[in-house]
Amino acid sequence: MELKTFIKNFEEAVEDVAVGSLSGDTVYRSLEPWDSLAVLTVIAMVDAEYDLRLKARELKQIETLSELHALLESKQSV
Amino acid sequence: MPKCCFNDVKISGIVACVPPLEKCIDDELELFGGQVKQLERLKKTIGLSKRRVVDAQTTAADLCEQAARRLIQEAGVNLEQIDALICVTQTPDYLQPCNAAVIHGRLRLSKNCAALDVNLGCSGYVYGHWLAHSLVASGGCERILLLAGDTISRLVHAKDRSVAPLFGDGGSATLIERSVGAPSAYFSLQTDGGAYDRLIVPAGGARQPLSRKTAEVIEDEAGNFRSLENLFIDGAEIFNFSITEEPKSVKELLEYAEIDADAVDYFVFHQANRYILGNIAKRLKLDLAKVPMQTVERYGNQSSASIPTAICGELATALADRASTRRLLLSGFGVGLSWASALVEVSELAVCELIDYTA
Repeated sequence: MELKTFIKNFEEAVEDVAVGSLSGDTVYRSLEPWDSLAVLTVIAMVDAEYDLRLKARELKQIETLSELHALLESKQSV
Repeated sequence: MPKCCFNDVKISGIVACVPPLEKCIDDELELFGGQVKQLERLKKTIGLSKRRVVDAQTTAADLCEQAARRLIQEAGVNLEQIDALICVTQTPDYLQPCNAAVIHGRLRLSKNCAALDVNLGCSGYVYGHWLAHSLVASGGCERILLLAGDTISRLVHAKDRSVAPLFGDGGSATLIERSVGAPSAYFSLQTDGGAYDRLIVPAGGARQPLSRKTAEVIEDEAGNFRSLENLFIDGAEIFNFSITEEPKSVKELLEYAEIDADAVDYFVFHQANRYILGNIAKRLKLDLAKVPMQTVERYGNQSSASIPTAICGELATALADRASTRRLLLSGFGVGLSWASALVEVSELAVCELIDYTA
């Protein structure tokens, strides 16, 4: 799973975020449009693009997009 | 529950009934703290729009009774010949007796008639069909009146954005009877009780009786208000559940019935919201023309009444052709957690109509 592609997918899933504006260091929960709807759309994106189940709780426990990416990679290898 | 198949049972008519009062999310900017952007995103992404809700005097029993009266009239049913009345609801008029008994009395049905409630929500219409088909196929009944309806709008707190704009109300009546040679009907039913508290009204039952404490309205971390007597939903978990279990269960039922998805005319899912419906349809790679989705945008999430409302509101014309048979896959998912799917064939419906409730 490539980080660059993942960030692009993330940007598309969370509306009102300019594509190319985020990086691995972005603390996504501090983004202005981050709300319960964004949680849903990110969960749906992860399911659709990577066929992985992400829990809302997990999204609350981590900080940056790199960490989220790492979590998904660890799920993928299970 | 293993999957099962019943023969010699047919669906003869369906009527759905919605309250006339319409609410629209556009008029509720105040609920979203004046955040136009957030409201627009909800409209665009989740598909929230209009919903029909009851007034303080109207109950699910009223909506179901009116649907039943229309069905009985249009289908020319002899009241003496109804062997059982099954009422699916989570918003009954009383804790006791059951809605089925109350409506049995109001419809003046025969005393030789079984009457019982089924306490299920979004999966309940399919469960009701399973029960009715099973009773008829086994020879226990000849003719069953299945009522399914809820008034969830009365359980949500008006200042809870996570549920208030989602739910509408509705009632329905369906006639199921013996018909030798009728096509097979296939069912699958599933439960995950471990997640029972992900979609729940915590207080008001025996576990947590009503008290001053349960009536207290509390603001949660997202700024939504509710008491323990209001409906609570863990939106993300329920979404995950819906898009994971629903497509799987539909696929498995089609495999069991040995019927290709292309041979199904319509996939009538519980009308949760457009976002969930779209995601389920995408995972199953369904032709969207076969998936009714407008009901939820017009009437809201109607719990147990959503599938019959979608059939009557969106498929009445398609089902009107008496000469041909339509294969429908019905599938409901939600509170329990509970989910159920049915594959049925419908032809020559005596009535398939959506009516407005009149007090």
